[in-house]
Amino acid sequence: MKNTTVSALALTAGLFGGSAAMAEITVGMMLPTSGTYAALGQEIDAGFMLALEEAGQQDAVRIVREDTEARPQVGVQKARKLVMQDEADVLVGLVSSGVLGAIRDFVDGSQVPLIVANAGNDEATGDQCSRYITRVSFSNAQVSRPMGEYLPTAGITKVYTLAPDYAAGRQMIDAFTAEFAEHGGEVVGGEYTPFAQTEDFGPYLTNARASGAEALFVFYAGGEAISFVNQYGSFGISDSLPLYGTGFLNSQLYLDAEGDSAIGTVGSLHYVPSLDTPENEAFVAAYQERHNKLPSEYAVQGYDAGRVLIEAMATGADDRESLAEAIPQVSYTGPRGPLEIDPATHNVIQNVYIYEIVKEDDRLTQNILATIENVQDEPHGCTLGG
Amino acid sequence: MYRQTGLRSATVLIILATMAVWTVYGSFYSREIVVEIAILAILAISLDIVAGYGGMVSLFHGALMGVSAYGYGVATVKYGVHPLPAAVVGVASAAVFGTIVGAITSKTAGIFFIMATLAFGQMAYTLIFQARWLGGDDGMAGLPRFDFSWLGVNMFNPQHFALYAIVLVALVYIAAALLMRSAFGRTLEGIHSNEPRMIALGVTTWIAKTRAFGTSALLAGVAGVLAAQHTQFISPELLHWTMSGEVLIIVILGGLGTLVGALVGAVIFVLLKHEVSAMTQHWHIVVGLVLIAVVLMGGRGVYGQIERWITGRKTPGVPDA
Repeated sequence: MKNTTVSALALTAGLFGGSAAMAEITVGMMLPTSGTYAALGQEIDAGFMLALEEAGQQDAVRIVREDTEARPQVGVQKARKLVMQDEADVLVGLVSSGVLGAIRDFVDGSQVPLIVANAGNDEATGDQCSRYITRVSFSNAQVSRPMGEYLPTAGITKVYTLAPDYAAGRQMIDAFTAEFAEHGGEVVGGEYTPFAQTEDFGPYLTNARASGAEALFVFYAGGEAISFVNQYGSFGISDSLPLYGTGFLNSQLYLDAEGDSAIGTVGSLHYVPSLDTPENEAFVAAYQERHNKLPSEYAVQGYDAGRVLIEAMATGADDRESLAEAIPQVSYTGPRGPLEIDPATHNVIQNVYIYEIVKEDDRLTQNILATIENVQDEPHGCTLGG
Repeated sequence: MYRQTGLRSATVLIILATMAVWTVYGSFYSREIVVEIAILAILAISLDIVAGYGGMVSLFHGALMGVSAYGYGVATVKYGVHPLPAAVVGVASAAVFGTIVGAITSKTAGIFFIMATLAFGQMAYTLIFQARWLGGDDGMAGLPRFDFSWLGVNMFNPQHFALYAIVLVALVYIAAALLMRSAFGRTLEGIHSNEPRMIALGVTTWIAKTRAFGTSALLAGVAGVLAAQHTQFISPELLHWTMSGEVLIIVILGGLGTLVGALVGAVIFVLLKHEVSAMTQHWHIVVGLVLIAVVLMGGRGVYGQIERWITGRKTPGVPDA
């Protein structure tokens, strides 16, 4: 912030009693608040606000919120508005990978730091990486790869894959397949289902059963995850063909809608609310107190986006350039375990948990089967590491 | 018959001058709005040529704009072509697409024509939506702008870019006005009011209609390149039929068959959208109510109605139906 503005503000504050705290940093919050992804946007926002509150820094930032509608074209307009009109010092958010891909060049060109709180496309911290873009959520490959490592240890070596036919679906399956093969597994077949158009998964499940696979590995998220798990449950093949997937399949957010169909399904994810650590217990308690529900991975991503920003500000960073410098150097142990930013890609390095959905006291929860520690992506063409 | 009356010239000059003043003295946001008006105005002018004067109500002008934007995007991003020739590629691809569709649909009329154009537009939308090479629904990023630094113009300065957009609107308007005053424009109007008579006069009407469509598509292509340069990002959304519908609303709102009306309509539409959406999410309702009022008042559009009040006679070129 310019010195003249600061002193003018200080003068005004002095005239009017001087109790008003000054907004030092302008945060441009880019989340979908309408449309299919609105619920995810809300969780991320709630997590972000919790981080500010916990640090007592609510007044240290001025937040300007814009609805991206999870549409790339709209996202570009909103990013331009936040950077050029609101003069945001840092951008936070992004649920949709499409929006992230769309604003990547603009963010890089205008040299504004961006903290990605969800969008997982591998390129953003791969060959499209930027020193201004830091991702605290996950990359697609990071979440699905650990399952390829885990399955052979659970005695499963033949797998059938299913995923929606779009960029994220293919990235998830490709990363899993490569890792699985490396550990001696074999993908005996697989299909990509039309994205957001498939209502009946029956034919795909029939093919999977006929393939001779020992298990099913899938990536589905959002509404598709709910309908897939429900249909899988009513198909009654959970004994012959157990269901494994990236944790977006049976995340905390969807458990209520999936009900008993989710029991026995196994997911891999960077956060589950049942983690037994003091950091997570404190976080879950604080979140439940405010929102009266368990936090999902989206809430944690929002929380960590806020916490990374606060820790960066604590080092004295107060403008675009110094924030861009400080944000990737933050590391701490938070609700999801140890968290640090990979200097080579600016993607987060974190634990990935393999968990099974079980029923305890009439409530569905995650029973952790294995922890794959400090999962780190290869640079994949990113040259930040030199 | 199209006439560039003093009232029309004055209206265009006043609007463009106001936009220029707003650009120079306004904030970043007002410059964004000016560019948005410019893009829609150019597209609406191109639609008015075929819909207002030719009576061919097209529902694929959004697709024309999108095809041009993608032409520009593919040339620059995929093949590294210099922006100037790439802009020619973009505009030309829209013109070719428009000419082909124009030729195919030239024998149809009324509702069949509308449905045929809608189908072609959605076809282009779906093809691009599913083309992985073009980024599919994730769109394509990293499109460059022109480099006019040798003129002392910095295209990355929002103010300079908005002024450039205003200049484009002026050029497109002049081109459209000259076109409508030429024999080509008179023929088009003749076909609209009485096609059998034009055939009797020896005019091959389908060729004339096709040429009109190609020309209109060419101007729509200008809007496409401008839109692509503005956000430097394109997605299939540009081609969606709702885009075409919006432009049609703009032309009807401003005044079908007046050219100036397209400009007036774009200004009203964009301002309504931004002012009303700041208050409520349901800004479409307000636009809808204004549109209904305009249609009930005789369908002359805001500009057409004002022109009628001032000149006291029937606006030239208004379709009778």
